[in-house]
Amino acid sequence: METETKVLSKTNEFGTYEIRMESIGGQGANLAGKLLAEAGIMEIGLNGVNFASYGSEKKGTPVKSFIRFAESDKEIRLNSPVVEPHLLVIFTTVIAKNVPLLTGVKPGCMVIVNTTETPEAVRDMLKIPGGTTIYTVDAMGIAVQERVRINTTILGAVARAVDFMTRAALEETMRKTFTKKYPKLVEPNIKAFNRGYEEAVKYDVPDDGKYPVQHFQGFKPKLGWKNAPIGGAIVNPGNTVLNDLSASRSGFKPVWNEELCINCGACDSTCPDQCIIFRRDKDDKGKERQFFDHIDYKHCKGCLRCVEVCPKDALTAERE
Amino acid sequence: MTTETLDKQQTAEQKTVVLNGNEMAATAASQINYHVMGYFPITPSTAIPEEIDLKKAAGEHQIHMIAADGEHGAAGICFGAAAAGGRVINATASNGLLYSIEQLPVQSGTRLPMVLNIANRAVSGPLNIKCDHSDIVYALSAGWIILMGKDPQEVYDLNLMAVRIGEAEGVRLPVIVSFDGFVTSHQKRRSLIFNDVKTVQDFVGEFTPKITVVDPANPVTLGPYMNDDLINNRKQQSMAMDRAREVIPKIFDEYAKISGRQFSMVQAYRMEDAEAALFILNSSTSTAREAVDAMRKEGKKVGVVSASVIRPFPIKEIQEAFKNCKAICIADRQDTYGTGGGAMSMEIKAALKEDPDNKSLVLSRIYGLGGLEFYIEDAMEMLNDALDASTSGKVNVPFEYVGAYEGDESYVPEFAEPPLTVEDVTPNIITTERDPETGEIKVKGAITRELTRMPKRIAPGHGACPGCGIVPSINAVMRGLEGPVVVLFHTGCGMIIGSGYPFSAHRTTYIHNLFQNGAATMAGIVEMYKERQRRGEIPRDQDITFLMVTGDGGNDIGMGPTIGSALRNHNMIFIEYDNEGYMNTGHQLSFSTPLGHATSTSHIGPAQKGKSTQHKDTAQIMAACHIPYVFTGAECNHVDLTKKAAKAQLIAREEGFVYGKLLSACPLNWRSNESKGREIIQAAVDSCFFPLYEIEHGITKITYDPEAKGKRVPVLDWLKQMGKTKHMGKPDYEAELKSFEKEVERRWRRLKAMAENPLL
Repeated sequence: METETKVLSKTNEFGTYEIRMESIGGQGANLAGKLLAEAGIMEIGLNGVNFASYGSEKKGTPVKSFIRFAESDKEIRLNSPVVEPHLLVIFTTVIAKNVPLLTGVKPGCMVIVNTTETPEAVRDMLKIPGGTTIYTVDAMGIAVQERVRINTTILGAVARAVDFMTRAALEETMRKTFTKKYPKLVEPNIKAFNRGYEEAVKYDVPDDGKYPVQHFQGFKPKLGWKNAPIGGAIVNPGNTVLNDLSASRSGFKPVWNEELCINCGACDSTCPDQCIIFRRDKDDKGKERQFFDHIDYKHCKGCLRCVEVCPKDALTAERE
Repeated sequence: MTTETLDKQQTAEQKTVVLNGNEMAATAASQINYHVMGYFPITPSTAIPEEIDLKKAAGEHQIHMIAADGEHGAAGICFGAAAAGGRVINATASNGLLYSIEQLPVQSGTRLPMVLNIANRAVSGPLNIKCDHSDIVYALSAGWIILMGKDPQEVYDLNLMAVRIGEAEGVRLPVIVSFDGFVTSHQKRRSLIFNDVKTVQDFVGEFTPKITVVDPANPVTLGPYMNDDLINNRKQQSMAMDRAREVIPKIFDEYAKISGRQFSMVQAYRMEDAEAALFILNSSTSTAREAVDAMRKEGKKVGVVSASVIRPFPIKEIQEAFKNCKAICIADRQDTYGTGGGAMSMEIKAALKEDPDNKSLVLSRIYGLGGLEFYIEDAMEMLNDALDASTSGKVNVPFEYVGAYEGDESYVPEFAEPPLTVEDVTPNIITTERDPETGEIKVKGAITRELTRMPKRIAPGHGACPGCGIVPSINAVMRGLEGPVVVLFHTGCGMIIGSGYPFSAHRTTYIHNLFQNGAATMAGIVEMYKERQRRGEIPRDQDITFLMVTGDGGNDIGMGPTIGSALRNHNMIFIEYDNEGYMNTGHQLSFSTPLGHATSTSHIGPAQKGKSTQHKDTAQIMAACHIPYVFTGAECNHVDLTKKAAKAQLIAREEGFVYGKLLSACPLNWRSNESKGREIIQAAVDSCFFPLYEIEHGITKITYDPEAKGKRVPVLDWLKQMGKTKHMGKPDYEAELKSFEKEVERRWRRLKAMAENPLL
């Protein structure tokens, strides 16, 4: 009789090992998901699927990437998003205020977080339930040093955390993918990947019941078929101001120096996000004029167009 | 498809790939090596032409790619190409299918085979880009064969078989391969493809057209007008469908021999003893099977039925599948509004009526509209409803929307900010005055610092990418418009970023229509407004400026209505932000994309050198409509742009149609630094690629002359700042660069001549 060798040590009731990646557009979570799925399928010999949350894929908006693995002979039949992941990968913690990141994370799950914080601090910040295992990695720091995106560094941490995923499998997949299109990026990415593997810090969270499991809530909008205006009309326009877009910034923000500012308004003319706020005030001669007041950091996406056009260096790019 | 594996020794060699549905469709197309693809990009099917183009640039096939002016044009290209006797492919979705639908019966009625991939997506409006089947339902009566694929593997397999089915003797019909948008089109799965292109070539064989329009030895009249005889043509079409019913299973069997994958018209999963069942299509089938397995473990006798072919409709197979079933829940991912069920519900009920022995109760359910996720719990809910009916013998809820949510009735949407009042948007910063003698318009007050006082009509918090050029460009226009403005945005980035329900960034009234029709819609708004003013329903002294905004893409597909509205001279301002491509769908070429530029449908590679034609000169096209005012503008010269907008407002109010074209930065797809948008635009202007000028009553005036100011830069100084054009500086692209430079120079000199001569 043939004995089946199982590759996956852990699967759910549908026979799949499930991964969810939480990120914002531009950080390469899609590619990370694709690389991981390919490594599992082509190198490890698993069955697998990979897909992303879809919508308007503008840079800087939250995105999710999902991977399901099953044993080679097992069909993967669910197409819905991963709601109870075995592994949750968080590319950036800044989206925590907009996205319920920890949904479905239960004791026994692993959570990989790109952060400069300690695992203990991250646990409290994100309210990660007990009985889980956290891996932290400063993927941004490594990526900046190696001049790559953070996704390959994070994959290093994934290779470290996931027992069935090997370094060799991911390295081979990255080589195949990057060599075709971006040969110059192969070595820096492999280096970042290996650093992610080595530098990830593991922390077994005590099963202390400190934070509850956050269960999947599903689709429950405030406006539904009973109370939404017919025809899809939005009757409170301008309400995008409620959105906090600071998570769209990639490490830099413009900073205003009042001393140097001549209130010319060039910054306002170039800002795509209406973040340069002027006020009406009297000048030295008592004449009503427009004055630079402040920058609206809630909506600033950190494009730094304003810094570029400022004729007096009154706006500078500063690391957040 | 049943997963039964046939004898491996009989099958052709295959290899494992990890590809999504679009990539699998493109792989099949590449291996088939169609003669022509006529297409127009639309999410989520766009990656099909993109992938085919990428493979073309790499020299993997010879398919001639034709970027159409819209889906209607794409269908026309395909019809013509098919009439000329070769193999033809196209891909579309949603309103793209609807826009081309007039051509579908033309293709089937003239009996010209081709293959059309549909990545199923909800139809507008309101706009939604995600999956449902409200598009494919419109094709049910188009006379096309329709195949349904539940996963990327099936998309590949069906694409190969579609060629054979459509071209089969006695069939000769065009074929649709329909699969779920995003769920299948974008989901990467482990799949198999044939190793050797020859396997595919041998399977599809040579195409021998019945008649062609390019055979001088055999002249033919194709597409006569028919009177009473039409019914006989239609009878032939109906017979072709019957013939397809016989042919399809044979081709399925033949394909199973080379692939090991056996398809069938209808798949009955665990139906042998099922008392209750679900009928469902495409990707949801897999989820439903998982639900059936889970419920079977609880001892519930349930099953699921799906179909790989819905045209011709597999009546006998459906009857057979449900013959012993007490209750059936038919889940439709679309509604045929007012019939109490979706299209499959209606058709299955009709099919079962023809089986006098069938006593099944039927429940109709609508699910998953607009991409609403289909979870296993949803499938179980529907199966349990059917099971209840099977045990009780009656149907409690015959028709329902599954997953629709009633909302919180106590919730009152709040204004995040008070709406802008007429006073707010009338700060009287800019004034326009017309000289009563010369008619010349003077614009005063356009001072950047003072203009910061004008409230932004687009609120912050919108979804544009960091560094997007659209908003500053439109802001520069809106700063020049005193008083209330009603805006219409065509589909495109500018539209998507500002109206993601339940949020809207527009602080003044905003309306969207699909980009083949925005100018016509705005014309209707303007004329109704004026008519209601004439009838005294709206105060005659109330003044609204009507501003319509499109991208260069919207003004490709929507050029007809744009010209129509211009020629009718409606009182409106039409602004086109030109970022040189279809950015909202991922940077496909537009007619405004310059020569040699790399886009996702004009890749650079060993066999292709970027876009093969020069850029569209839309401002001159509009000038030829002899409208009162045409201008170009750019945010690098934003005061100039704001002044032109103020002038446009006066002219639109007093005279009629105004057209303005703005060059707008797209850091994401130009592959340029987010902060450098304005600098790059400045270089484009200074290179004379994008001259700033206006044409008022036929008189051309250059408003910023980089040559005169000693600021002119070589075209390459601009091109080397963007990733999409860096290659233009390489020796391999010398010919393209020269050709582009020459064209820029010719158009600039021509413009200068026009500025010098009032008759030009």
